[in-house]
Amino acid sequence: MLSNLISKAPQGPFASSLQSRGRRIFIAVVAAVCYVASVVFNVIEWQSAEPFSVVTETAYHVVVICGYVFLWFLLSYVFKQRQVGPLKIFWTTLVVALIFVVVTRLILGVTLPAGVDIDSTTLGFEYGTGVPLTLATVVKMNVISLFQALFVFYLLLRFRDLVLFKRTKRSQRNWYLMLAFMGIASLSAIGKDPSTEIDLIQGLAVVPAVILMAINSFRVSWIVYLSFREKAAGIGLSILLMILLGICLSSSEALAGLEAYLRHYSYPLQLFTELTIAFGLLYGVTSFLFLIFHLPTTSDFQRKAGEVTAMHSLTNLVSQVFDPDKLYASITATPVDAGTAQMAWLALADVRSGTLRPRIVSAYNTTVDAIEEMVDVQSLYEELDARKAPVTIDEAAADHRINERPGGLIGSVLMTPLLSRNEMLGGLFVAKDVMQGFEKDDVEAISVYAAQAAIALENARLFEEQLEKERLSRELDIAREVQKKLLPHTLPQLRGLTIAASSVSAHEVGGDYYDFLELDDDRLAFIIADVSGKGTSAAFYMAELQGIFRSVSRLVSTPADFLEHANLALASALERHVFVSVIYGIVDVEKEEIVLARGGHCPAAMISLDGEARFIRTQGLGLGLDRTELFRRSLVEKRIRLQPGDVFTLYTDGVVESRNRDGSEYGYDRLLDALKTYRHEDAPELHESLLEDLDNFLEETEYDDDLTLVVLKWHGLKVAEMAAAEDPRAASRSTISGRTQHRIQSD
Amino acid sequence: MSNFSVGFRDTDSVQILDLKGELDAHTASELEAALQKCQADERYRIIVNGTDLQYISSAGLGVFMAYIEEVREEGGDIKIASLQPKVFNVFDLLGFPMLFDILDTEDEALKKFERDGTASA
Repeated sequence: MLSNLISKAPQGPFASSLQSRGRRIFIAVVAAVCYVASVVFNVIEWQSAEPFSVVTETAYHVVVICGYVFLWFLLSYVFKQRQVGPLKIFWTTLVVALIFVVVTRLILGVTLPAGVDIDSTTLGFEYGTGVPLTLATVVKMNVISLFQALFVFYLLLRFRDLVLFKRTKRSQRNWYLMLAFMGIASLSAIGKDPSTEIDLIQGLAVVPAVILMAINSFRVSWIVYLSFREKAAGIGLSILLMILLGICLSSSEALAGLEAYLRHYSYPLQLFTELTIAFGLLYGVTSFLFLIFHLPTTSDFQRKAGEVTAMHSLTNLVSQVFDPDKLYASITATPVDAGTAQMAWLALADVRSGTLRPRIVSAYNTTVDAIEEMVDVQSLYEELDARKAPVTIDEAAADHRINERPGGLIGSVLMTPLLSRNEMLGGLFVAKDVMQGFEKDDVEAISVYAAQAAIALENARLFEEQLEKERLSRELDIAREVQKKLLPHTLPQLRGLTIAASSVSAHEVGGDYYDFLELDDDRLAFIIADVSGKGTSAAFYMAELQGIFRSVSRLVSTPADFLEHANLALASALERHVFVSVIYGIVDVEKEEIVLARGGHCPAAMISLDGEARFIRTQGLGLGLDRTELFRRSLVEKRIRLQPGDVFTLYTDGVVESRNRDGSEYGYDRLLDALKTYRHEDAPELHESLLEDLDNFLEETEYDDDLTLVVLKWHGLKVAEMAAAEDPRAASRSTISGRTQHRIQSD
Repeated sequence: MSNFSVGFRDTDSVQILDLKGELDAHTASELEAALQKCQADERYRIIVNGTDLQYISSAGLGVFMAYIEEVREEGGDIKIASLQPKVFNVFDLLGFPMLFDILDTEDEALKKFERDGTASA
């Protein structure tokens, strides 16, 4: 609700000079002195029984007017400090008027005999000169004038707040002009005989004041902010006020003689009070009429005011982009709180599922479940998406997409798309229990609102995306770090065997893994694996696999056993769409053999010294693809006797699936050819040559996928023994490729 | 832009998905959406036709793994037909033929569904 209190008026220069308490007291003293002086003047006049000379008369008027002007400023300051609502203005003015009328009536009534004609003589003034005849007359004259002045000042100062409600420069100017002309008109009465009525010149002076009074009486905009009850009360009060002011203004029986006393005291003051009361009466009449006219439209106005307030709360939406749920809640709450609808819900395209299936994210004055039960959200949403403009359903019960009886909770629906750059972010649905509940202005209001809401939604989405991006990039950094640590930093040394290995991760963190473990002096376990998918989860599964490799390798005797264990251990951790391809093997230098098992991985390539090359493609499922005994049954181990010069190459699909600019893959055949060409080299050089061959084919060193290459070369025990005699370390040269290490770091 | 698409074809009892282009980590969500739609439409007998499928990555294979269990629980199946040799090789390396019916032609896949139907009936 809007405040009923009238806004605080800015302080004028004079009012601000009254800020100091000392000055206020000074003003009060001056006003009091002037008042006392006027009494003294009157007493002297009564004593001398002579009318004033022109000079004395002028001095008297100056004193009187000064006194009341100072009183006016003092009251003006006091009332500016204590501002009240329109209704209070009315009833306090009413009370003051009532007190004034009663007190004046008492003063006049006590002293006047009933049924006597009112003229100067009966009132106690000498006929013709207007000189007071008794001391009582002097007292009455002064007291009544003071009361009257206080009353009209109060009225004027209080109504001033009403007239200047939501002031403009113009309204303020009109007000001060009115006061000025009232003052001028009053001053024109200086020196006039109290017993004469106003003449033509005075009448002319009064005209502009009256015109301005009329203009000012139409400043009644405070009325529209009142509630129905307040307006009703206002009507009653304005009627009473009109009656009282009417009594004051008319020279009726009740206040007979009032005017005469005032005129004898000060004609200008009398004119001023008369004009003020006339203005009060005029204002009372316009207020009364406007109150009556506005009474029936109160609820409409309040609804509109509610909408206005609600639309102001849009600014709140903007600040809620950091909390999507809260934002959704405000978006649905606002149209209902504004009174445009009785319930509302918000549906957003569910981008996460990859489809356009709308999801209700928030509902107000109803529940998501209830809406889903009553309304075919999907088809309404599709219509909205097709039209990309607000759609009104006037008779919900007649619409097959809404499962509602006539007279149910949903009578009519207004749906509005939330558009951002012509892309539909979602739909705002508002409903009423009556049919045809949405008028054109409702549609417009909601459209404007929806446009704002869409901006807030879009901002929220961008914010979330940015947050997600940053989170991902941080996660990727961590994952990359983890991955780097999981891969071996040094390679094992076994007699008769040279080893070289490298792994390069592509743009994102991949799931490539290789590792070695010396089971004893003669046996070396090796593994190469590729976790499907990328990112942190892949790195996590890699870490899991490393743990399994390091621990289970020593517990099992055959590769198939290892894979079975690994499958069991991973099965609980792996998501359903994730699997791991793997080759696990054991090199036994004493027996001169390799035993290996393949779990869905790219087949190992083998080439012997004479150039006979082949892929070892044994049967076996990838880890995580099957959790039954089928997995174990699928595994076939391969036992290979090693001949000196045999090269054994393990790799991930990044090697064979790498594509050059023309889009052709490196492929298995090229890998075998390269192996044939470089088979005489030791493992580190051979490893280097293979990567070079790949790079030459790709014509670049940027890879699309992770790329891991492990080369094992068997030199034979004899070579190993011979070499050991010369240089104990020569035969077991193993390297992690320097170049590729560099690549890991550079990624 | 994505160079992968899924086409929908219906026969009386079987939903056929025609895959076209390259199915990798970036396009996997489209196949996912297609399979979700099949589920939403309660069509659980699905043939994936790979005549125009040029490439599949492990993420692409993962989509099949993600949905096969639920489809089979509903008494349906996903059968894969008409794969190009290179793409079949990827399926084969991982041992998918042990888990899925992978057939040379769509007709064979349809017949397989019919046989399944009579076998279970």
